[in-house]
Amino acid sequence: MRDIVFACSDIHVEVEGKEVVKGVTLEIRRGEKHAIMGPNGSGKSSLANALAGHPNYTITSGEAFIGGGNLLEMDATERSRAGLFLAFQYPLAIPGVTVANFLRAAVKAQNGNDEESLRNFRKELTEKFQLLEVDKAFATRYVNDGFSGGEKKRLEILQMAMLKPKIAILDETDSGLDIDALKVVSKGINASTGGDEAILLVTHYQRILNYVRPDWVHVMIDGRIVRSGGPELALHLEEHGYDWMKREASPVA
Amino acid sequence: MDKELMDLDTILARKADFRPIDKFEPQWFYDLRKAGWEHYHDSPPPNRASNVWRYTDPSLFVIENPEQLLDWLPVLPDDVTQELKPMKPEHAAFGYNRSDLRTFTQMAPELGGSGVIFKDLFAALRENEDIAGPHFGKIVGPEFGKHEALNMALWNNGLFLHIPGNAVIEKPIYMHRHPTGQYTLQRLLVVVGENAQATIIDDYSCHCRGMGMVTNAAVEIFAGESANVRYVNIQRLGEDSRPYITERAQIGQNTNLHSIFGSVGASVTKVNAGTILNGRGANSRMSGVIFGNGKQHFDYHTVQNHRASESFSNLDFKVVLRDKSMSAYTGLIRIEKDTVNCEAYQENRNLLLNRGTRAESIPELEIMTDQVRCTHGATMGPIDPEQVFYLRSRGYSEPDAVKAIVSGYIEPTLNQMPADIAGILRELVHDRLDGNGNGGRVY
Repeated sequence: MRDIVFACSDIHVEVEGKEVVKGVTLEIRRGEKHAIMGPNGSGKSSLANALAGHPNYTITSGEAFIGGGNLLEMDATERSRAGLFLAFQYPLAIPGVTVANFLRAAVKAQNGNDEESLRNFRKELTEKFQLLEVDKAFATRYVNDGFSGGEKKRLEILQMAMLKPKIAILDETDSGLDIDALKVVSKGINASTGGDEAILLVTHYQRILNYVRPDWVHVMIDGRIVRSGGPELALHLEEHGYDWMKREASPVA
Repeated sequence: MDKELMDLDTILARKADFRPIDKFEPQWFYDLRKAGWEHYHDSPPPNRASNVWRYTDPSLFVIENPEQLLDWLPVLPDDVTQELKPMKPEHAAFGYNRSDLRTFTQMAPELGGSGVIFKDLFAALRENEDIAGPHFGKIVGPEFGKHEALNMALWNNGLFLHIPGNAVIEKPIYMHRHPTGQYTLQRLLVVVGENAQATIIDDYSCHCRGMGMVTNAAVEIFAGESANVRYVNIQRLGEDSRPYITERAQIGQNTNLHSIFGSVGASVTKVNAGTILNGRGANSRMSGVIFGNGKQHFDYHTVQNHRASESFSNLDFKVVLRDKSMSAYTGLIRIEKDTVNCEAYQENRNLLLNRGTRAESIPELEIMTDQVRCTHGATMGPIDPEQVFYLRSRGYSEPDAVKAIVSGYIEPTLNQMPADIAGILRELVHDRLDGNGNGGRVY
């Protein structure tokens, strides 16, 4: 148990009265990289949003822990401060709020007080800008306002790199990225994880896993994890698709 | 007694009561005041079918038994003690306008020799008749409307500011307008010469509470050719105040006027603000930031009257409402015939922080010519819960998330203002968001 940073068991999630996650159990240790793969509508993004505390996703039963804390007793703010990070599939624009001010406030909120000096913050921000190959002018733009799809995803990973969560859930961070942007974003993910920081990568495609090598791959179909394995499972899926597994997963009539 | 059913004898008797303030009062001034008194009694009540009065009950600003106020005429300089207030170093001049005291003004030493006149309005009407006389009552006069007529008849404290031609006053000229008692009737007259430059902060604030105070204020601004003027109207009155403010500015050829309205105080606020673009190339910008809390009610009406060719106006009003507050915005763009190539833009946006708030937005266009570019837009919508969640997922508390979204919402409007003015408005809104009274400290 010592190294477990995130665990959930038998999580059920409802959206608008419909059950979309039907009992998911996961255990993630410090620095581990997990991938959840599955076809559209399998409940992957619902699980990600529910764990982050999105008000439209209700966890109806199960347990979840982060660090030593009971996740389900925390609101979205507390989950973030406890070290859970969600990289959004569709990041929201906050017009009028600059990237720099937004990140400064977020870092401040995480640390609970203003320990980190402004100079440290700026230094680190500059480093992360270089890591994710974004221009300095990014800092004074309004958060995601008029950003391209690739810029939005870079900003998500930039936030992760600044906030240093215990567990980052990346919800289809690879979607909508061309191959160059995918490489940059993957570089950012690799540079920010693997030490203490664990990730749970939610994706349709095996493609990003060529750059971010998972320790574990879980396959989710119809709200359940139907198979878990090593990185070779992802390659198998890439070749054979999900259909064979769907047939295996569906209850015998 | 029902005011609308007074018999003729009573009206005549009241008119007869009207008398000069003192033996120094110029005849033209007495005539204007008397015309106001008569118009007040003779004119019908405001028409509630018109957009200007659709959302706010005119009787909220009615002054009961105004004849009582006939004996409450302006305090003459010899009679009273001055209330001294220290001027802040960031201001070029300081004016204090309180209805039960003599008006007080003070100028920074560097204004010596500039020719700037800043003084009590009554004094100016006698001592600077050549400048004040031709402008006083010309754009908010006795026949403007019923409430304006009463203001003309009974106002008893006011300020006069004259910036001579070519004078450039960098620091803002700050005026604290302090209502007291149940009724305050006050005026401001500003006359800016050609090529001159000034920023005027007209700050309505008081600690007043629980008195149902009515403030009836009239503001007239004249800006000459190529002048550059900012007029900043701040309303942060106590929570039971009811201000009724009519502002008109008349600007000349190539004149720039930026009128800024920041409103967070009072219970019911009714403002009618307008710019008359009287010269070719005149440029009127108008910005507004309103934040409502509790059951506050804001009713802002704006007018851009293009009377000259190639004149330009741009209006940007942002409204944020919380609890059960309400805003009605009505904006008139009027472009006179025989003008060409005027441009007029108007945008009013409303952010509703919870159910129970209400926003109305009505543009009115009176375009009497063909060669014109004109657009208007209005939006109103709730705060996006997905935005709130996004920020909370980054560790923002819910109040901080809302504060960030509201700050961001008004920021593009504040960006169009000088930093010091933007700072004042930003602080007003943040104070309200933090739940502090009616917009923070009184001067």
